[in-house]
Formats: sequence, structure tokens, C-alpha cells
Amino acid sequence: MFNSSWTKYLWIAWTSAKSNTAYLGEVGSRVIFLGVILYIFLRLWQVTYSETGASELGGLSLAQMLWYLAVTESIILSGPRVSQTVDQDVRTGQLAVHLIKPLSYPLYCLGNCLGERSVRFVLNLSVGLLMVTCFVGPIHITLQSVLFLLLALPLAFILDFLANFLIGLGAFWLEDTTGLMLIYSRITMVLGGMLIPIELFPDYMQPYLKALPFASIVYGPARMFVAPDPAQMTGLLANQLMGILVFSIFVYAVYRVAAGRIFANGG
Amino acid sequence: MKHAVELEELRKTFVVKTGKGLKRENKEVVAVDSISLKVEEGQSVAFVGPNGAGKSTTIKMLTGILTPSAGSARVLGYVPWKERSKLTRSIGAVFGQRSQLWYHLPPRDTFELLGRIYNIDRKRFAERRDQLIERFAMNEYLDTQVRKLSLGQRMRAEVAASLLHFPRVLFLDEPTIGLDVIARQELRDLIREWNQEEGLTVFLTSHDAGDIESVAKRVIIINHGQLVLDDSVSKVKRHYLGSKLLSVKFRAEPTPFSIDGVELVKSSYHAMKLEVDTDKVEIDTVIKEILKAAPVADITIENPPLESVIAHIYSQPKESVQSSDV
Repeated sequence: MFNSSWTKYLWIAWTSAKSNTAYLGEVGSRVIFLGVILYIFLRLWQVTYSETGASELGGLSLAQMLWYLAVTESIILSGPRVSQTVDQDVRTGQLAVHLIKPLSYPLYCLGNCLGERSVRFVLNLSVGLLMVTCFVGPIHITLQSVLFLLLALPLAFILDFLANFLIGLGAFWLEDTTGLMLIYSRITMVLGGMLIPIELFPDYMQPYLKALPFASIVYGPARMFVAPDPAQMTGLLANQLMGILVFSIFVYAVYRVAAGRIFANGG
Repeated sequence: MKHAVELEELRKTFVVKTGKGLKRENKEVVAVDSISLKVEEGQSVAFVGPNGAGKSTTIKMLTGILTPSAGSARVLGYVPWKERSKLTRSIGAVFGQRSQLWYHLPPRDTFELLGRIYNIDRKRFAERRDQLIERFAMNEYLDTQVRKLSLGQRMRAEVAASLLHFPRVLFLDEPTIGLDVIARQELRDLIREWNQEEGLTVFLTSHDAGDIESVAKRVIIINHGQLVLDDSVSKVKRHYLGSKLLSVKFRAEPTPFSIDGVELVKSSYHAMKLEVDTDKVEIDTVIKEILKAAPVADITIENPPLESVIAHIYSQPKESVQSSDV
């Protein structure tokens, strides 16, 4: 089915997923956080919808808005610490352990990230959807919704990984990449539509925000799940693939230069 | 005899920034300074030096992680930094302070993953895995999460994992660091057995003289990036310092004596430990003087521990250190 070079990365993802089932305690604490966030936003959106008297905001009903929030929060909270791991691998010399194997380090990190994120996302989403169902009841989910989510989500995760990996590679030049990582994560939350769908941003900003990779990571998959639209889905996939292509080129180029700068001292 | 490792004038320099603010300057630091050596297939070599001597940098060049600034090297016929992907299938490495095992999973899962990464035929993999489990006595903890293993068990699993893909050369970078006496000895025995029985070339770095004596036949010492000694472990122990340690127990209070070339290391009631510089005085001359001093109950003559030999070599300027082919 797959040639051997790809099979090993699938095995890395599988091993990473297995390894992350050991973090159920941590997942539990995230789930509590998710519950609190969802409850706060339930109250906020309830007030907003009743004050405006609108049955829909940005094309979403209150129930859809909460379901949207459950998906975006699950996406954000499932993000592994890719940039910190790469940063640490570079600074501590742990990179050496990976480089002496017949592996591509970026693809190793990708497999590791996807395995870890899959476990976290499934757990977060299960609990998140259970909570919003209790709060606002179910919404109409079609097979198309599920298919769109399953199609958009892996691409969103790959895109997010590439951006995080690039930041982590900054460790080859910078004293500390924490600042960059914080800026990236906050921009993803705000401009990616984690709390507010892009449709609620000013009209003139919306085309730009939708074209940015942040929306392809958070807003796009969540929106396609709660309100699937084939035309928008095509645009989302095109944006995601373009983003992956551009970021892959950057990762390839930066990693090539970075590999020449490996110091790996101190054992 | 084929050579597993060949280095020719291998050199590595790094640029480091010194100073603060606007006064920062780039300074070139020589980590490895034109090292040349050859290691035959199946040989066990200890690569020794103080911190910052260039050991790890050399290993990282030999495993293809770093590109040298000058010179050449071949490991199993491959130029490591140019043919790393091919070389990785024939070499294994254990970095004592860095783990390749998945911390939250049992060693069995890491073995399975490594089997896939190295694309080992499933039947061959199962046989090799079972052989390693048996030889490294890992049966009882193979399915225990790595985080719950003792350091000794973890290191055995690390070494076993590095042998799964049938490497011909094994690089060991301080493999016994932090281990207790028993775990250390067990690991040394395993590495030595694998070297002697399977013909595995072992390239070991360690600060522990015991590792060197137990595992290696040949010792290469580097300091300040330069090769300062390359000889067999037994020769280094026997001849290098040119000194012997004499421990004497007398039956009565000895009369004081002084001999040029003999230094009193320590003394207690009716006993003393002497270091004899055999370049200045013959051992039998010293013994005659000892016998004259008082009746002797017991006397032992030892070589100085390898640790002292190495410490002595580290402190010598390069020109004064002899080197010979092995």
C-alpha cells in the first residue's frame, strides 16, 4: 500500500499516538479548561444573540456557534509543542539521536506531531461536543460535514506543524524562540477565528483573513463542519494546499541551511 | 585487514561569539585539529580526552551529523557527511545522555518502531529482537514503560536498540555515565562480548577508566583537539608512566630511608605506599632498601591505575607524549 519510506513515518505517528495515551491526566486537565471556556462563551453568545435579536450571526445559529467553538478550541488545544521540541532538540543536541537514523528529521517531527495531535484532538472534540450538546443540543450534522472535516483537518494540522517547525528552527540563529512561538499562537487564535468566526470581522478584513494560513488551520475546518459549503470547501482546500506548498519550500530551504549550522556540542 | 574507520587530517572549527553588546566579536575555536587514525574492523577502541577535547565532535563527524572544516574521513567506506543516509544503516550509536527510547512506552514498542525505520525484514527482525532480549536479559522488563526502568535497565535497552539493525560499527558516547558499579560492569561485559563474538567494531568515549580497561584493546587520547596518544591499553598501563606502586607491610617499625626516584604516597603504622619512578631507580634496588629497613610481612607491586595514567597524559604537553601504531 505504501512504500517503506512512508510506512516508517506512519509508524512514528502510530507510536506517538500510543505514547500520548499515557498523558490522560494532562488531557483531563485540558478538558476541564475546555469546559470552562465553552461555558463562558455559551453565556456570552446567549447575551449577544438576545441583545441583537438575531437568530443567526455570521450565518451561524447559537447552537452552531457553540459547536463551531468546540471544534476551534479542540484544534487549538490539541496543538503539540512542536517549536519547543525542535528548539530543545537543537539546543540540547538531542537532534543527534534522530540524525543517526535513516530518517528525515522534519518528517519524523511531522509523524510525531500528527500522532500526538490526533489523540488529543479526538479526546478534546469528544468532550467538547458532549458539553455543547448538553448546553445547546445537537445541530444538523451531515455526512458532508464529517467528510469536509476529515479532509480539511489533516491539512490544517500539517500547515500548523510546518509553521511551528519553522519557528523551532529559529533556535539555530536565535537565543530564544519562545517570543516567536507566542506571537504565532496568539495570531492563530485571533486571526484564525478561534473565538469569533471570520464572518464577524469587518467586511474589508474578511477576504484577507480567509486567505491567510491561520484561517486555514482553525476557522476553515470548523466552519465546514458546522455549515458545510462545497464552494467554500474548494477555496479552503486550495488555500491549505498552497500554504503547505509555500511553507514546505521554506522548511526545506531553512532546514538545509540550519543543518550546516549544527554545533551539537557537549556530548 | 579492512578498516572500519579512517580519518585523514580531520579538522573542525567553530565560530563563537565573544563579548557583549556592540563589542561582540567572532572567534574561531578549533574543536578537532587535524586528527589522523585508522580503526580495523572488529577492533574495540577507546577514544578518550578531557571535557572539550573534541571527542564528541569527532564522533559527530564520523556519524555524519557534522561536516568537517578540512580533512577527510571514511566509515565503512562511506564519507559520513556526504552519504549519511547509507551509512546510518550500518552504524549504531548510543549517546549516554540522550535516549532513543520512547519514554512513556515499553522498550518493545521502540524496538518495533526501529524495525520499521530500518526496514528490517519481519522474520529477521523478530529473530534479532529475541536474540537481543535474551542476551541483554530484558525479558522481565521488555513490556514495562521506560520511565519506570532503572538507569541500568534503560541503558541495556538503549544498547540493545542500537544493535537491532545489525550495525557493523557501534559508537558509544559515555554509555555508563551515572550507572552503579554492577550495572556498569554488566554493560561493559555485554559490549565486550558483542565485540568479541559478533566482530562488532566498537568506538567508545568515556571518562571512566574502567570502561576503557574492560571494553577496549586500544586507547586513543586526544586533548585540545589533537591526538596525543594512540596505543594498546595494556602498553599504556605497563609502560607509559614508567612508575610502579609498592605497598609494603612491615613486621616492625621500619628505619627511615630515602631513595632518589621513590616518593612516599602515604604511610600508616608499619605500612607504607611508595611510587617508584622506574626511569630513575630499579625496582629491585628499592626492594633491597625496604628489606633492610625492617622485616617485611607483605609486599605488592602494582601498575598505577589507568585513571592516573590518563590524568598524567592530559597534563603533558603534546611533544612529550609518545605515539605508536597499533
